[in-house]
Amino acid sequence: MKSFLENTWKNRAHVVLALPVFLILFFIMYVPMSGLVMAFKDFNYAQGIFGSPWANPLLKNFEFLFASKDTFINFTKNTVLYYLLFTAVGTFLNVTLAIAIDQLMLKRAAKTMQTLMIIPVFISYAAVQFIVYAFIASDTGMINNVFGTNIRFYSKAGYWPWILLITKVWKDTGYGSVLYMSVLAGIDTSLYEAADIDGANKWQQIRHITIPSLIPMVTVMLLLSVGNVMHSDTGLFYQVTRNSGILYSTTQVIDSYVLNAIFKSSNFGFTAATSFFQSIVGLLLMLLANGMVRKIEPENALF
Amino acid sequence: MAKKYSTTASRKFGTGQLILLICLLIFTVFTFGPVLLVFISALTDEMTISQNGFSFFPAKWSTAGFSSVLRYGHQLIMSYGVTIFVTVIGTFLGLMVMSMYAYSMSRHDFKLTGFLSIFLLIPMLFNGGTLSGYIVFTSYYGLKDSLLLLILPLCVSTMNVIILRTYIANSIPGELMEAAKIDGAGDYRTFFQITLPLMKPSLAAVGFMMATAYWNDWQNALLYITSDNKKPLQLLLINIQKSIEFLLNNNNVPAAARAAMGGTIPQYSATMATVVVVIAPIMVIYPFFQKYFIKGLTVGSVKG
Repeated sequence: MKSFLENTWKNRAHVVLALPVFLILFFIMYVPMSGLVMAFKDFNYAQGIFGSPWANPLLKNFEFLFASKDTFINFTKNTVLYYLLFTAVGTFLNVTLAIAIDQLMLKRAAKTMQTLMIIPVFISYAAVQFIVYAFIASDTGMINNVFGTNIRFYSKAGYWPWILLITKVWKDTGYGSVLYMSVLAGIDTSLYEAADIDGANKWQQIRHITIPSLIPMVTVMLLLSVGNVMHSDTGLFYQVTRNSGILYSTTQVIDSYVLNAIFKSSNFGFTAATSFFQSIVGLLLMLLANGMVRKIEPENALF
Repeated sequence: MAKKYSTTASRKFGTGQLILLICLLIFTVFTFGPVLLVFISALTDEMTISQNGFSFFPAKWSTAGFSSVLRYGHQLIMSYGVTIFVTVIGTFLGLMVMSMYAYSMSRHDFKLTGFLSIFLLIPMLFNGGTLSGYIVFTSYYGLKDSLLLLILPLCVSTMNVIILRTYIANSIPGELMEAAKIDGAGDYRTFFQITLPLMKPSLAAVGFMMATAYWNDWQNALLYITSDNKKPLQLLLINIQKSIEFLLNNNNVPAAARAAMGGTIPQYSATMATVVVVIAPIMVIYPFFQKYFIKGLTVGSVKG
């Protein structure tokens, strides 16, 4: 203990340098964690988080939660299904695009196209929302005009899984491929040369050299993403859908539900129980994911 | 990269390459087309859009959209100011405090390093969620409508500290810092005069990603900002959309009043002109930072 204190005193400059981040994390991230007790309380603003009485029975908020088919069950199902859809399609396209760009002989053209493909990732969803509108508005939308149809996309929930998927692919694919391209750039060139000499064609080279060397990175990225199943790209579901109630059956996710509850200042007990569920499940999935990464690629584990 | 193709580059540009090129061009049009549409629509005549719809080849061009952006220019300039202020202050503050923390963690004989790593890691695994954040920040800290809530929540991220720490560990020779010590430089001086200047590539990568996150943040603004003079650009965009929706859906607005407002309410081309004003700065600076952020992505994924 004494040597620990001595060591800390000797390195006091390091303590001072670490202090600002320590304070920011403490006040911005750690203190709100205590707010999760709201899930077990009958919250009211006047008495605050800690003054409000305990719920009676203690798990009252959770009973409501699991009994509500059209809210909790629905938005949790949406959250998980969109995660699966985006991850499967996204990973496939990111890898395909990375290989395609890497294979193109016209290096300058490849570089320029890649630069243009990355741009959408830097556009906020508040702006993306207007771009999507230009395509799918019922009267002025480009799709209805080009095909001579009059589909009212903003009131038909059935179309939205497709609209959101296309928007997500449009926004993130170019950026998502960058990471895999850096892996491709690191492949030992002698492998391709040897394959060439042995008479392997391009397809065989991709199948037996390129794809196998991408697999470790793909595995790591997939596993790490498991920790974020309960969190979605809030802007996609809140802004792009214009937060329209008619569409909730296919567009509401946990994050957008919580945001709405805050704006309506309603159902805080229910929302707090949802947040608690989201945090705990997120923690368990994160630990699970990291454990698996640690087994497969120890140097890529987060901790 | 060039070396890798030394054997294959001599091959001729065959059918396979042509198909590949066409597929990539199609995908480029798919990604960049919508961005282009924003610029074209902003320069299209308002009546043309409302009659013929949005188009890449409008019948009539016009700069009226940008003129009406200038008409509500006061709020736009104010919002621009807020966004720039938050982006610049937040990015520099974040870079400074995160490099300090990363440097502090990189010291080998410092016994608190283990604690600092765990303290940094926990928020990544577990958090209180948006609702308790909202209640703590507004009722307990009393920060409703404060710019601090646009700056602090995005200021420190675990992943960024890890990227900076990895850079210090892998790319800055430890002997250099030792030498500075032997020459009599204290810890502060070593950090500010030796380590920090050598961290430039990683600071550029992280800084660019932070700046875009600040520039594009709408959620904190929507949650916390109420007064007009603190509204950032993204909130302005959201408000524009809401006011259009209100006018279109609200039947209580008399037809005459609606017609009168039709000229001043930013409709299609003016809205798109506003979007251009909001997204253009990032699109202009991004090519200069491209190589840095690609490096940053790579460093972050291959943690040392």
